[in-house]
Amino acid sequence: MADAKRDLLRGLWEDNPVFRLLIGLCPALGVTTTATYGVAMGLATSFVLICSSALISVLKHLIPAKVRIPSFIIIIATFVTIVDLSMNAALPELHRMLGMFIPLIVVNCLVLGRAEAYASKMPVGFAILDAVGMGLGFTWALGILGGVRELLGTGRLFEIQILGDFFTPWGIMTAPAGAFISLGFLVAIMNLISARMKKTS
Amino acid sequence: MRESMRMVIVLTVIAMVSAGVLSQVYNVTSVIIAENRAREMESTVYELFADAASVEFIEADFVMFRAKDGDGTTVGFAYASEAGGYAGPVRVMVGVGSDTMEIVNVAVLQHTETPGLGSQIEDEGFRSQFQGKSADSPITIGQDIDNITGATVSAEAVARAVRRNFSDAIAAFEGGQ
Repeated sequence: MADAKRDLLRGLWEDNPVFRLLIGLCPALGVTTTATYGVAMGLATSFVLICSSALISVLKHLIPAKVRIPSFIIIIATFVTIVDLSMNAALPELHRMLGMFIPLIVVNCLVLGRAEAYASKMPVGFAILDAVGMGLGFTWALGILGGVRELLGTGRLFEIQILGDFFTPWGIMTAPAGAFISLGFLVAIMNLISARMKKTS
Repeated sequence: MRESMRMVIVLTVIAMVSAGVLSQVYNVTSVIIAENRAREMESTVYELFADAASVEFIEADFVMFRAKDGDGTTVGFAYASEAGGYAGPVRVMVGVGSDTMEIVNVAVLQHTETPGLGSQIEDEGFRSQFQGKSADSPITIGQDIDNITGATVSAEAVARAVRRNFSDAIAAFEGGQ
């Protein structure tokens, strides 16, 4: 049981895909101009991650090792297309803003990485727990990154004005350079907190 | 031999199931997407003409709207057009003033161009260059429209799309009056 809890929590902190493993950075840097886009992108990726991990774990004994990568890619691409089409139908505004980044979930190395390293070796339950943890870890990381950039770049958070007139927005934070700067600082802060936690324990 | 047969069968089955599932999802979503698109195009007309109060459909080979102000006077028309961009079709909506037959503004409805490069076709600075162009203007990148650095294909797609239905749109608008 302890193992299952570890599987779920690993992605949230210890092996957080964005802040610790530094994978899936293309969407993490590309769409996080606001907290809303970050969270939406995180949830879309989580859906693909959970569904494909579960299915790959179920099919792991049926898929011959030599064709596992193309098989995984087809499975992942199917779920990505489902997300792309459903989001276009249900949330056209959001779909327009996330644009190209939704189809690009196919090549997010977080999804294929978890399939290859974990889901293809573990029982379904553990694969799902791992995917949920990693997905939520990715979502909160993108949400924080988007929140920091939105707050400093526009003075707003989730499109609601937070900072008053005294605050001059830092235009650079919504530009691509702001993504790298924010990510650098957030990774440093995460490392600092982790080091403190290790010392006290 | 048995192993290679198994590889072929497994891959084929996975691909077939995937295609089957996706065609079902497409059937359901494409209807909603088409409705969203029509509503989006109509609302774009209001963005192109600040004084538009009502919008009417005009019969043409492409989607076209007539914009009227509060008194019911026609202020202009808008036509939809598209051209192949760098990564897929670039769909635009062009607003033309009926008094001058010159472009008032261009809106980019949809594109899948590279974020940060080709996506700059959405920027006001690029789109506003089309303002005041008539059907006789070249509307060509490098002549009367400035290029976007690193996104020539995307910029040219917008210019091509604007040019493409311009004369036909004027003909359809004048024929409908």
